[in-house]
Amino acid sequence: MTRAIIHLDMDAFYASVEQRDRPELKGKPVIVGGHPQRGVVLAASYEVRPFGVRSAMPMARAHKAAPKAIVVAPRFHAYVEASEAVFRIFESVTPMIEPLSLDEAFLDVTASLGLFGSAASIAASLRQRIAKEVGLPASAGIADVKFVAKIVSDLAKPNGQKEIPTGTSREFLAPLPIWRLWGVGPKTEEVLGRLGLKTIGDVAAREQHWLTKHLGAGGQHLWELSQGIDPREVVPDREAKSVGAQDTFDEDLLGEAALTPHIHSQALRVGRRLRRAGVRARVVQLVVKYDDFTSISRRVTLPAATDDGQLLYREAIGLLSRVDLGRRIRLTGVAGQELTSGEAQLGLFAADAPKKQEKLNSVLDQIATKFGNHAVVTADLKREQDSDDPRDGFYREEKRETAVKAEQQRTKTGLTVERDEE
Amino acid sequence: MEFRIAADELKKALHRAQGIVERKATMPILSNVLITAGKSGVTVTAFDLDIGIVSEHAAEVMKTGAVTVSARTLLDIVSFVPDAQVTVKKLANNYAEITSGAAHYKIVGMAPEEFPKLPREDASNLVKISGPTLLEMIKKTSYAISNDETRYILNGVFFEPREGGKVRMVATDGHRLSLVERELLGDFKLKAGVIIPRKGLMELKRLLDEAPEADCQLGFAENSALFKKPGLSMVMRLIDGQFPEYQRVIPKEGEKQLMVSRARLGDALKRIALLSADKSNAVKVSLSENLLRITANNPDLGEAKDDLEVAYRGGSMTVGFNARYIQDVLASMDTDEVAVELGDEHSPGVMHAPGDRSYTTVVMPMRV
Repeated sequence: MTRAIIHLDMDAFYASVEQRDRPELKGKPVIVGGHPQRGVVLAASYEVRPFGVRSAMPMARAHKAAPKAIVVAPRFHAYVEASEAVFRIFESVTPMIEPLSLDEAFLDVTASLGLFGSAASIAASLRQRIAKEVGLPASAGIADVKFVAKIVSDLAKPNGQKEIPTGTSREFLAPLPIWRLWGVGPKTEEVLGRLGLKTIGDVAAREQHWLTKHLGAGGQHLWELSQGIDPREVVPDREAKSVGAQDTFDEDLLGEAALTPHIHSQALRVGRRLRRAGVRARVVQLVVKYDDFTSISRRVTLPAATDDGQLLYREAIGLLSRVDLGRRIRLTGVAGQELTSGEAQLGLFAADAPKKQEKLNSVLDQIATKFGNHAVVTADLKREQDSDDPRDGFYREEKRETAVKAEQQRTKTGLTVERDEE
Repeated sequence: MEFRIAADELKKALHRAQGIVERKATMPILSNVLITAGKSGVTVTAFDLDIGIVSEHAAEVMKTGAVTVSARTLLDIVSFVPDAQVTVKKLANNYAEITSGAAHYKIVGMAPEEFPKLPREDASNLVKISGPTLLEMIKKTSYAISNDETRYILNGVFFEPREGGKVRMVATDGHRLSLVERELLGDFKLKAGVIIPRKGLMELKRLLDEAPEADCQLGFAENSALFKKPGLSMVMRLIDGQFPEYQRVIPKEGEKQLMVSRARLGDALKRIALLSADKSNAVKVSLSENLLRITANNPDLGEAKDDLEVAYRGGSMTVGFNARYIQDVLASMDTDEVAVELGDEHSPGVMHAPGDRSYTTVVMPMRV
């Protein structure tokens, strides 16, 4: 069955939010970044990109490249709120939303076509509403498979949209450089280059067995992609295997006391997202990345599935005791796994506390919907609020690291150059 | 050993044994029955190390002795014998010979000494009870026993003597609970309640079903229960442990009380649960003035709705339930009308006969 998939991506998201909220920054080169020495560029406005400033670039280097750029400290709660508003607009056209990060998502609108018209008109109206209601620019790519939609949205940036009609993916992909394909990093690109494969069309023109002979099992996948074949579906949280939140810290943290507020925030975010998706997790996973970039994960199976962030937090803290706390840690993440749909039978002998917690959660969710995620936070998180770290009890805050990584990939693959040229 | 017995009588004994003997026993001899011929007749014993029954039957004993053979095989044989009479004779090497009319069997047996000994029964604690009442109490609780073997304590019915010769029986699987209190006659001299395992209770129910009005006696020793009726005695090991504090989860009085026809509610649940999601039997129950609406909705199949007139005045509410849990309760009740008490969508629903809480059931809602 032919699908209609839209990849929506906010343009220079953090920087655009800053420019929206501080009119004096409009049209100016803006860098959103953390620590001036240690930090990295989190977002660069389009005005500063011609200077070569890219996301994930060390701040020191960015400052050298664009000394006149205005550096703004990140206000994560503002980004999360903007993201929430954007996702609410997405939800008005389909429940089939796969969030990739705060500022990008796949939407499968196949089932919405009858109701809202063509995919292109849905994308246009979404972008229009985002501009009008949230005040931010977004770009969209439309195709019948996910990876093509993602490539196209990059090509459409900034503030544009583009559609690849069904059946024309192959022609569209052919002239594009090989690194555009998912999974083709600099190393693979080099290997392919030595085989004389520079464009996606070069791959498409080759026989499958020739590719598998030279590239192994990955050759088959690469060939499929070059043909515009990608069976991966849009997976909303509801059907996801796992719902998680993780944060890379501005500086590496040492010791349990420093970590717990972050883990608490992550657990609460996971709880919210689970409740939103109407699912409960049977397994809690804690991921820890040490300062040497090695990472470990610990998991525990719960006696009963839960969507309560406080319970997830207690379990995650239990898992923390199985982590080497003598080492510096740069990232923690909490995930709920083995998800079951929310149609759960309540228990008679469940302690009274969870029942109260359930009521409390539903009230907190309502408050957050009406007054924003900062309206009520738990006491240990309140303390952190002033520093504007992303550790409030919000949801949909998809991994800051994922966003940074995505930016890195884009930079690596040169996609940001396309943006600047357009 | 040799005796002659009516085929039907032997069949009755073997039927009684069927529920006890283990099909796939770790000890092969537990798949057997022990047949003992004494001067006054024949006893057939089945024992799975937890529950044992000894069934006494009239027979013409030519020679006393004992034999143990597969319960299943012997029942199959007796079910097909051509004659109304059967002769059982022990041969060398523990073989048993079954003869009826011209039909002749020689089946493998084991040494009767290897058959495990049943615990000594202490008859001093036996109390005469009302069979029909005990049967009713079992029927009103057994459906709520937990099937989850990890919740060992809940794999039986809590049997708790109360004041004034009354006995309370309580079963729960953690999602629903059933409590019935009746006068069972007699003083069991129990300091606290005991937990009767499901299998033993089911056997007890079968035995009571045979002839509820017969003289029945029930008694408890340290960690076992003994049941006796004419020609039969049954002993079982009790579940060792602390039954949960069930009183705590029975709401005193629900906020929203209504009266509904038992038959109408049962029918409505049956027809609406057809469209519940994922075979979960989840239905939504919406209450408004004098109206009870039952709905179900399955993303793949569609939705269903049925309205019932009920006697209700009060605020409206919606709560989800597993329809089967309610159907089980309705099937175990005797009155035409059912009193239903509800709280909110997280609170248990309570059902009992109008004006009578001696049989009270509690069902937890589902999140729908």
